[in-house]
Amino acid sequence: MKGLVLAAVALVALVIGSAAALRVYGGNKEFKVLLGAFVGAVALYSAAFWLSPPDLGFIAPMWLEASPTVDFGNGLLFLALIFHGYWCFAYFSCLSPSMSVMVALRRRRGEGLTRSDALAIQGGDEPVNLIFLRRLPKLLDGGYVAEEAGAYRLLPRGGRIATLGSFLKRLINASVGV
Amino acid sequence: MLKGLLLSGCLVSLWVVAQGVVFHVCAPQKAFASMLKWFAPTVPLYVVIFLLTPADLGVLSSRFVGVDWRLSLLNGLGVHVLLFLTAGLCYSHADRSITVRLLIELARAPQQRLTLDQMQAICGVEVLMQDRLDIMVRNGFLAIRDDRFVLTSKGWIGGGVGLLARSVLRMKAV
Repeated sequence: MKGLVLAAVALVALVIGSAAALRVYGGNKEFKVLLGAFVGAVALYSAAFWLSPPDLGFIAPMWLEASPTVDFGNGLLFLALIFHGYWCFAYFSCLSPSMSVMVALRRRRGEGLTRSDALAIQGGDEPVNLIFLRRLPKLLDGGYVAEEAGAYRLLPRGGRIATLGSFLKRLINASVGV
Repeated sequence: MLKGLLLSGCLVSLWVVAQGVVFHVCAPQKAFASMLKWFAPTVPLYVVIFLLTPADLGVLSSRFVGVDWRLSLLNGLGVHVLLFLTAGLCYSHADRSITVRLLIELARAPQQRLTLDQMQAICGVEVLMQDRLDIMVRNGFLAIRDDRFVLTSKGWIGGGVGLLARSVLRMKAV
């Protein structure tokens, strides 16, 4: 129980801290902010767990886990699983093309959206649309692709991700192309 | 608490294998609905197995037994639900990730090279948006009225969640 209580406190700190940090962060590698917040939350949780009394001053004896290691690991598991959900929620709600369509439709108040309007949201009428403007610099910086003579070439690191991605898609029977 | 965690872990592992078979045999159009349908029976199954088995499961050392059984039951149930949601998100990563799709297309291209125009033609915004709009219509977030996409009540709630999240979490598109 102690682990669960402290994990809940660490999660609240993580969400507030990351939301505040994202407001002042100027770059476009938000994953670093979120990972930093997670590392901070784990450090806070670990320190609080090992430095505080087993009952935290209010937990009834019947709710105390006999093994501190299990209690600690259990809290950490909750922290990690909920952080993964929070991470996905943050990216999906702020950057997903699907969510962008729903948000645009909410702002239009029942006006509706044509297919070309939906394309325009993602910069479909620009020479380089948003999908590539955001991803290509990261793939180049990360050593996944290289730019050569006006084309992009897959590097071994990117090839490993492609192999893993193809394997996962086969596992869930998803089409690899579209 | 270890008893609940172990039972949940075992049931989720079995469900993942069964769901993989379902994906290959049935190829469901609504993947998440299929996952939910096949996962749902594991929740009462978890509770029944928990209640019918001894506190130490016949294998756990006595130092891992002793916490109130109700806490152990609820804790395992919480992990069980979180593992399902995590599996759903992992499915989404594998199925929808644009970056992974881009890298796969590069891997399949001659000499593993593509120009920007070729990439935009294969997995650019037109291909992607058509795919996403179809999925949103199929899953009941959007409806088509007079050749225009409009929000359903489900989509209206989804868009509201997005608006709220975007006002709190400032992430930039570029």
